[in-house]
Amino acid sequence: MDIFGSYALLLAFAFALYAIVGGIAAIITRRPLLIKSARNAGFAVCALIWIGTASLWYLFFTDNFSMAYVAAHSNRSLSPYYKFSALWSGQEGSLLFWSFLLSIYVFSVLFTYRGKHPELMPYVGVVMAGVQIFFLTMNNFVASPFGVFAGQGSGGILHLVTRSDGSGLNPLLQYPEMAIHPPTLYSGYTGFTIPFAFALAALLGRYPGEKWIHLTRRWTMIAWCFQSAGILLGAHWAYAVLGWGGYWGWDPVENASLMPWLTGTAFLHSVMMQEKRGMMRVWNVWLVFITFMLCMLGTSLTRSGAVNSVHAFAESNIGHWFWSFLLLILLVCLAAYFKNRDYLRSDNQLDSMLSRESSFLFNNLILLVACVAVLAGTLFPVLSEAVRGSKISVGPPFFNRVNIPIAMFLLFLTGVGPLLAWRKTSTESLKKNFGLPLVGGVIVAVIALALGLRDFYVTLCVLLSGFVTLTILSEFYRGARVISARTGANIFASAGQLTMRNTRRYGGYVVHFGMVLIFIGICGQAFNQDKQMDMTTGSVLTLGQYRLHLQNYDSTQAPNYTAERATIDVEKNGRSVMMLYPTRRFYPSNQESGTMVAIASTLREDLYVVYAGTNPDTNLPVIHAYLNPLVKWIWLGGVVVVLGTILALLPNRQAAMVLSPAATQAPIPVPGSTQPAHVSFSARSQLPAGAGSTWSPPEK
Amino acid sequence: MTSRRRIALISTVFVAIASALVPLHIDAQRSDRAKSLGTKLMCMCGCGQILTQCNHINCPSSGPMLKELDAHVAKGEADDLIIQDFVQEYGEKVLSAPPTSGFNAIAWYIPGIAFVIGLGIVVALIRMWRQRDVARVATAVGPSAPAHDVLSEVHNVQLDRARQQADRDTED
Repeated sequence: MDIFGSYALLLAFAFALYAIVGGIAAIITRRPLLIKSARNAGFAVCALIWIGTASLWYLFFTDNFSMAYVAAHSNRSLSPYYKFSALWSGQEGSLLFWSFLLSIYVFSVLFTYRGKHPELMPYVGVVMAGVQIFFLTMNNFVASPFGVFAGQGSGGILHLVTRSDGSGLNPLLQYPEMAIHPPTLYSGYTGFTIPFAFALAALLGRYPGEKWIHLTRRWTMIAWCFQSAGILLGAHWAYAVLGWGGYWGWDPVENASLMPWLTGTAFLHSVMMQEKRGMMRVWNVWLVFITFMLCMLGTSLTRSGAVNSVHAFAESNIGHWFWSFLLLILLVCLAAYFKNRDYLRSDNQLDSMLSRESSFLFNNLILLVACVAVLAGTLFPVLSEAVRGSKISVGPPFFNRVNIPIAMFLLFLTGVGPLLAWRKTSTESLKKNFGLPLVGGVIVAVIALALGLRDFYVTLCVLLSGFVTLTILSEFYRGARVISARTGANIFASAGQLTMRNTRRYGGYVVHFGMVLIFIGICGQAFNQDKQMDMTTGSVLTLGQYRLHLQNYDSTQAPNYTAERATIDVEKNGRSVMMLYPTRRFYPSNQESGTMVAIASTLREDLYVVYAGTNPDTNLPVIHAYLNPLVKWIWLGGVVVVLGTILALLPNRQAAMVLSPAATQAPIPVPGSTQPAHVSFSARSQLPAGAGSTWSPPEK
Repeated sequence: MTSRRRIALISTVFVAIASALVPLHIDAQRSDRAKSLGTKLMCMCGCGQILTQCNHINCPSSGPMLKELDAHVAKGEADDLIIQDFVQEYGEKVLSAPPTSGFNAIAWYIPGIAFVIGLGIVVALIRMWRQRDVARVATAVGPSAPAHDVLSEVHNVQLDRARQQADRDTED
């Protein structure tokens, strides 16, 4: 099966080469047969990558320890669940998994647009195959997951060596989210290949108009959604497994995932200016290019070992391959831009400073500055070492201090943007729209101050969260009220109807609300408390309103590890409310330890208890307890963001016209029927003049 | 119920929910001096975590470093002196954020410089695009046109664009 997988990947490489050469020939000759042939080669590449990936999974499930990769990342006692996820637990497998996810996107694009857009798709196919070639080069020649253990026999002949058992999976990776977080995040990274391919293809082929934007809008949103969910899942994983009481440590790998998310978010906003006004063509193309390059840069940073990261399992010497690919992409993008930049010329005009367009410009500015700040902080240790010869650390204090003001400005713009109209907003409408949300935000902030909040940024965040939430609610309310007045439906049903008529706009508002929840959750960090104590049986640790009684500590045996476990009775206001079992595991196969944190989570706060090991001086178990307020709001916000994006991905429901009450009083008689006809119009063009139409909100 | 009342009602409900959920024990225990100083230092085991947050089981660095920090605090040494001691012992890498002086201060300036440059570009773009709008109208009307004609033409151009926009909004 190892040979089978290797051959599949080699064949995929050969077909990918053909897809590029054939695609370029098809572009030059415009022969339909060549176009079809290059496309079919693209399909074959995808199918072969799937076969290669399936082979590796098979090797994991059959405990084939003659394979170096399987032996390094699995063992016999590993549960099937983790054998499945072990595929992407190391360098070689994760690169193959990257190819696998990319091939799903490529297949979907080739299949969805087969026979459509003949001027654009050959270019798209070539760009996608180009990206696939790079990863297949890695999979075949640089970091193959199908390497075997070989030994020299008596006659000098090499033969396969099979180990009796493998080293097992890194304990930090033996957590249920291992099966969800990497695939989700990688789906985000690889997904940005599609808008990149379309943007570069449109530029190379001088494809007219904004069509490529319409074609890639949903793909970009899908990639963005995966990236958002992947980042939050990673944060949750860090929170539940690493046991330091936090969820975001500004580690280079975390930063690497955040940077394309920031530019991707900027793109999702600025692209509306191109769709609506034909503006920002150059900017949008470069935003897509930069987003894709940041996906590659992040991977280069973490896999090259250039920066220190807790994700040390990903470090290797393959970084220069990524740097070279990154340089190549940059050169291709620059060449395409300078050759065809006249194609991107747009008639940018702005009617007023107070307009949706301006707010998007500032939104892009802030997101890009945030990205630059994160990039600067991540790369600065490397720069400092190159210039001064000594490495410095750039840790959370730097990132928090720089990014918190930026985040506040962004939150402010999240509230302001929807209140501004395209082209121009009058001062009167500004006052009218701003008044209540702003007053509401101030009231919330005053209450927070009255409750004792004294941190400036937390108070500001509370104020802005109130402001943004009320802005969103008022947007829904105003639209729903008009529909309610026309149809007689209640306000909630009308809000539902309104949302389904313009899913992109109102889905976007739901995403904004999700971000507000995340911001509120992050604010809770300002009130974190923690206490660490060496505990004997019966001793008590008091933290906030909680009293933690250590009842006993024991050890258990599982097939893959041994565990030391503390049993803690938690009292709140003098009443026993729950039992918690923080655990420390020891994995003999790789001689590593890991923590399983016990978390009691409510909307108000998380009681987070870590069994931190045994104090060698006292030989007593060390319990570290944290009280982290509002953390659940972050995960809840993440769910809302994903749901909002899914909503925005849905097609708009066509508005059915309902006659006004005056009109319905005179039903139209239908010959031969005792019932009056129910009249509805599905197309706006059919609206009779003056008959009253459903209210349709302007596109966001 | 008027719309303002409804919005006021919604605001009140939101405020009530938010105030119910905001934790009341905000006069929580304050970090002691060692804890606060610990956030300015990195654990030197290579985990990339802040000293007080490194929880690696059997970490060879964080335990001794924390003990050292506690000892400094117990002696009543000044914060700057304690940090300086750590820098001398472990190098600048022990600091959790770049120093604000010398070459490393550049790290602090980069986001600000990026913001100022970006803001300059945005403002310049807005001004340029606004001028382009005015120039387009002026070209359409001609140089000798009276002021009211220019205004009327501005109105026409804007109406024209509004129509185009409406067309675009209502297309599939």
